[in-house]
Amino acid sequence: MPKAKLAVSLFILSEANFFLLLIIAYVFYHSYPGAGPTAATALNPLRTGLFSILLFASSATMIMAAAGYRARAHRATLWWLLATVMLGALFLCGQALEYAGLYQRGIAVNRNLFATTFFTLTGFHGLHVFIGLVAIAIVAGLAATRRLVGSEREADAFEAVGIYWHFVDAVWVVIFSIVYLWAIL
Amino acid sequence: MSGLAVRVRAGEPSEAAAHRGLLAWVASVDHKQIGIMYMLSVLLFFALGGVEALLIRIQLAVPNNHLLDPDTFNQIFTMHGTTMIFLVVMPMLAGMSIYAIPLMIGARDVAFPRLNAMSFWLQLFGGILLYFSFFAGGAPNAGWFSYAPLSEPAYSFSNGLTYWVLALTCLGISSIAGAINMIVTIITLRVPGQTIRRLPLFVWMTLVNSFLILMALPVLNGALMLLLVDRLLNAHVFTPAFGGSALLWQHYFWGFGHPEVYIMILPAFGMISEVIPVFSGKPIYGYGFVAASTVAIAFLSFTVWAHHMFAVGMGHVYDLFFVFTSMAIAVPTGVKIFNWTVTLYHGRIRFTTSMMFALSFIVMFTIGGLTGVSFAVIPIDWQLTDTYYLVAHFHYVLFGGTALAIFAGLYYWFPKISGRMLDERIGRWHFWLTVSGLNLTFFLMHPLGMMGMPRRVYTYPDLPGWAILNMLSTIGAFVLLASVLVFLWNIYRSLTAGAIAGDNPWDAWTLEWATSSPPPPENFALVPPVNGRRPLWDLKYPDRADERVEAALEG
Amino acid sequence: MTGVPTLNPFSPEAASIAHLFVAILLVMFSIFALVATLVTVAIIRYRDREGAVEARQEFGNPRLEIIWTVLPALLLVAIFIFTVRTIHASDPPVSGRAPDLRVIGHQWWWEADYLKSGIVAANEIHIPVGTPILLEVESADVIHDFWVPELGRKIDAIPGHPNHIWISAEKPGTYLGTCAEFCGNQHAWMRIVVIAQRPADFAAWQRRQLSVPPVPTAGVAAQGAQLFRDQTCVNCHTISGTPANQRIGPDLTHLAGRGTIAAGAAADTPANLFKWLKDPNSIKPETHMPNFQLTDAQARALVAYMETLK
Ligand code: HEA
Ligand code: HEA
Ligand code: HEC
Ligand code: CUA
Ligand SMILES: [Cu+2]
Repeated sequence: MPKAKLAVSLFILSEANFFLLLIIAYVFYHSYPGAGPTAATALNPLRTGLFSILLFASSATMIMAAAGYRARAHRATLWWLLATVMLGALFLCGQALEYAGLYQRGIAVNRNLFATTFFTLTGFHGLHVFIGLVAIAIVAGLAATRRLVGSEREADAFEAVGIYWHFVDAVWVVIFSIVYLWAIL
Repeated sequence: MSGLAVRVRAGEPSEAAAHRGLLAWVASVDHKQIGIMYMLSVLLFFALGGVEALLIRIQLAVPNNHLLDPDTFNQIFTMHGTTMIFLVVMPMLAGMSIYAIPLMIGARDVAFPRLNAMSFWLQLFGGILLYFSFFAGGAPNAGWFSYAPLSEPAYSFSNGLTYWVLALTCLGISSIAGAINMIVTIITLRVPGQTIRRLPLFVWMTLVNSFLILMALPVLNGALMLLLVDRLLNAHVFTPAFGGSALLWQHYFWGFGHPEVYIMILPAFGMISEVIPVFSGKPIYGYGFVAASTVAIAFLSFTVWAHHMFAVGMGHVYDLFFVFTSMAIAVPTGVKIFNWTVTLYHGRIRFTTSMMFALSFIVMFTIGGLTGVSFAVIPIDWQLTDTYYLVAHFHYVLFGGTALAIFAGLYYWFPKISGRMLDERIGRWHFWLTVSGLNLTFFLMHPLGMMGMPRRVYTYPDLPGWAILNMLSTIGAFVLLASVLVFLWNIYRSLTAGAIAGDNPWDAWTLEWATSSPPPPENFALVPPVNGRRPLWDLKYPDRADERVEAALEG
Repeated sequence: MTGVPTLNPFSPEAASIAHLFVAILLVMFSIFALVATLVTVAIIRYRDREGAVEARQEFGNPRLEIIWTVLPALLLVAIFIFTVRTIHASDPPVSGRAPDLRVIGHQWWWEADYLKSGIVAANEIHIPVGTPILLEVESADVIHDFWVPELGRKIDAIPGHPNHIWISAEKPGTYLGTCAEFCGNQHAWMRIVVIAQRPADFAAWQRRQLSVPPVPTAGVAAQGAQLFRDQTCVNCHTISGTPANQRIGPDLTHLAGRGTIAAGAAADTPANLFKWLKDPNSIKPETHMPNFQLTDAQARALVAYMETLK
């Protein structure tokens, strides 16, 4: 069995538990709103929704990259990887914009329990996106310098990075539904 | 085909062996060296945690004692609990698995040797970070489970708890990385023939245990991050005064904490399941049931967390759910106890020190397990939670359980690790001092709790009977000190002048005994064929190989 | 078994627990004896010695496995049933009744508010014998736990999460209890005394608590009363009949009637009070009451005043 793929699958199992906990904290305080901003008053689901589409799209480009890799089309692989990095980076920019906007309205992490759990949850997700971007950028770098050799180990590692990236996306589907969609319901 | 395998000495020296001296260790990615470094770091932290235990016992030896001031005492028991759990038991079990498991499955190393080294250094770093708090304004002082809001900056304003959070995060990440490594190793690197139903039970239980770590430690890490946000960014997730919830922390902590206590016992069960059969000269009784009960325990352990919260007033319906699951977990544990015991019957029991520790484990762990069940009987918990009766429970399972199993495992594997035998005569001394010290120290805590003595008090009033029981318990702790010193002496003596062990001094049958002691860098030149659970037995008695006997029994 | 309060109950609630406990202890002891005997017999019979027979290679027996899975399970079902019954006996439902007494845990002392009569007591709770009293248990800061083993179960005092328990005492007497949840530095000296009295005695106690002690007008005690106002004591304490009405520290209105000070840390004697006022840390290290650097004369005057607070 491919080692890296197995390891990453186990890793995301543990990450899933980690996020589950942060989500529970968010939902718990969502049901006991105190004074101050709430998801409904503070967030802009439409704008974040648009940025989310970029992130979801990056899963698709990652799939294309993997297909390119399997077909040994190294140029295509490289371009799809770069597209993935671009989309992911744009998503992070969107998150940065969102944070800056909230901060300007005086909504920082210690404002109230909504703010605390919101920033912790989305912040840790953002960190995971960032780590994924670094990993993909490394693979892209290898592709750019033609160091991809197509060995079994390398294919395993390539797939592992892909699994991780899809996981980060999937987590965002959950977070987006709970944090943003729930707010406009 | 079960022909005799030819063993050849080590081939090429590996990459790491090219370094010399200390660098060979620091730069090592060899599982044997990393395993040994884990165990050595445990020695250091066990000494620290043990000295803290002695300080606790000295302070409590007499009533109304003012030797330690309250805050110091609180720091000491917090560090004692945190050290023993996260810097002694967890890394010890990790180190023993890392050392033994690749050998037991006939592998060259773990799946990710570099990740393995990272786990170790992160673990050590976490330990040092935790102890650094002593020099940074005071150690953590809110107990090993740091209940909010006492752990919030409003009530615990030194930096100790922040260090605690950061250190535990490092340890958590290290454990998760280690668990992933273990699972991948066990799943992908077994020698051909060693199917999952032929795995040695220590490997089996470590596999299950690694899944427990994988599921439970992230829960701790998540809770720690929220506490960190509270502490560093002035948030209020766990402070009721600002709308937070103190109980949420408890649910989170025990959502990790209960699986954690089984994380600390499953590998111990595994070692017992190796030692008892070998020294009885028989295969383990009911292999399938012992393995399956491990899985049952692992699943159940995620359903019982709130039995640590029976006094918080959850309501009887919730209470009863957790009563039920906590009682249920006694059943698969009992299955193990009975199988180990019955393994002894019709055997030919060799009383090595290792075996004596294993036998005393069965009896001592049962005491701790039974008091655990008495806590699951919730009205009894309503009286006895947070008293010394609880302190007795968990020392019986942790010291009488895990620690005795670790000693059994150490006496068993020391010859493999070092190439020399641990002295059996000194071992006897070690054994009897340990068992008598353990019972003197901890048994008397049951009556103390029943007499109303709460835990975590830096001193206590001179109520009838309290003084004498505490004094005896303190004496017991010094007997334990003597036992540990005897053990250290034994290690020292045996390393320098112990009898040469040879490949298989115990006449054991799992794969690690098929290579030299200590094993060469490559572990095996050739791995014997595996057609059953006891490859070396099959090799020695081809006419009575396990598969034949089993087939005959079934036929 | 005096000296072992968990086995020596004085209320029906505590009694139901004690009975169950004794039964469970017996069950536990039997199981322990069984395991210990099995191991010992094996050790003796199957020791490796001259002429011992070869170990028999057996792999297990599903029937035995089923037996030692099912029998313990059945035993546990029985224990579960008894547990359910005892739950109701030892922790009866509140059924919508208003609490008689609100007990509030503070770092590191107990406040007791009698909700009907308006009496405020500290660390010492008086109850009439034979009457079940409903307690509401709360906390002003961190988590504490109210526990008087002879009178019933313990219950956590959690900020933002009020809990309820019943206590009662069948016989007059003094019952010792303690804070059972770790709550910081002086968790050790956060003890509770429950004094169960005959109805007549209890009524007398109630009358005395409701009376307002006269403010001394002459002598050292009068100086003390003045000092009490000047030395910011009023910022934390209450004494009825004076401007002091803060609740950060214990209500001192009837201090002289208590058996101990500082939640059991010392007997309530003039000497100890003096020591306390000179330096609270000398009696209860790291307590939240500050040291006011009083002169001996000031402290003596304050003690004299405190002694009038009957
Ligand atoms: C190695 C660690 C370990 C292990 C294995 C266990 C095992 C068990 N524990 Fe323990 N426990 C701790 C470590 C452990 N515990 C610690 C550290 C704490 C305190 C944390 C703190 O507050 O600091 C704690 C606290 C704790 C509590 C909370 C008490 C409180 O805070 O008020 C409870 C309550 O239910 C409990 C129950 C149990 C039960 C039911 C088992 C069962 O798994 C035991 C099962 C075993 C047996 C029962 C014996 C063998 C079985 C037989 C011979 C079969 C026949 C038996 C019967 C029919 C009964 N434990
Ligand atoms: C595996 C876990 C483990 C182990 C092995 C131990 C071992 C011991 N424990 Fe510990 N204990 C805990 C886990 C453990 N404990 C936990 C989790 C808590 C709860 C903490 C909390 O409430 O938060 C606790 C709490 C606890 C308390 C209650 C404190 C309180 O509530 O106020 C007490 C009191 O007696 C105690 C005593 C002891 C003793 C005497 C030992 C002895 O067995 C120790 C024996 C070891 C030695 C004596 C070491 C020998 C010393 C050396 C080898 C050094 C030699 C070198 C030099 C001198 C330089 N422990
Ligand atoms: C900052 C608040 C504060 C101030 C000011 C203060 N106290 Fe206290 N006092 C406390 C607290 C808190 C306790 C309870 C301490 C404990 O038991 O841990 C206490 C306890 C006491 C007790 C013991 C009461 C009992 O029932 O056990 C006495 C007597 C007392 N204070 C007298 C005084 C006097 C006299 C002064 C002024 C010189 C004073 N206090 C000023 C907070 C204060
Ligand atoms: Cu209050 Cu312990
Ligand atoms: Cu538990």
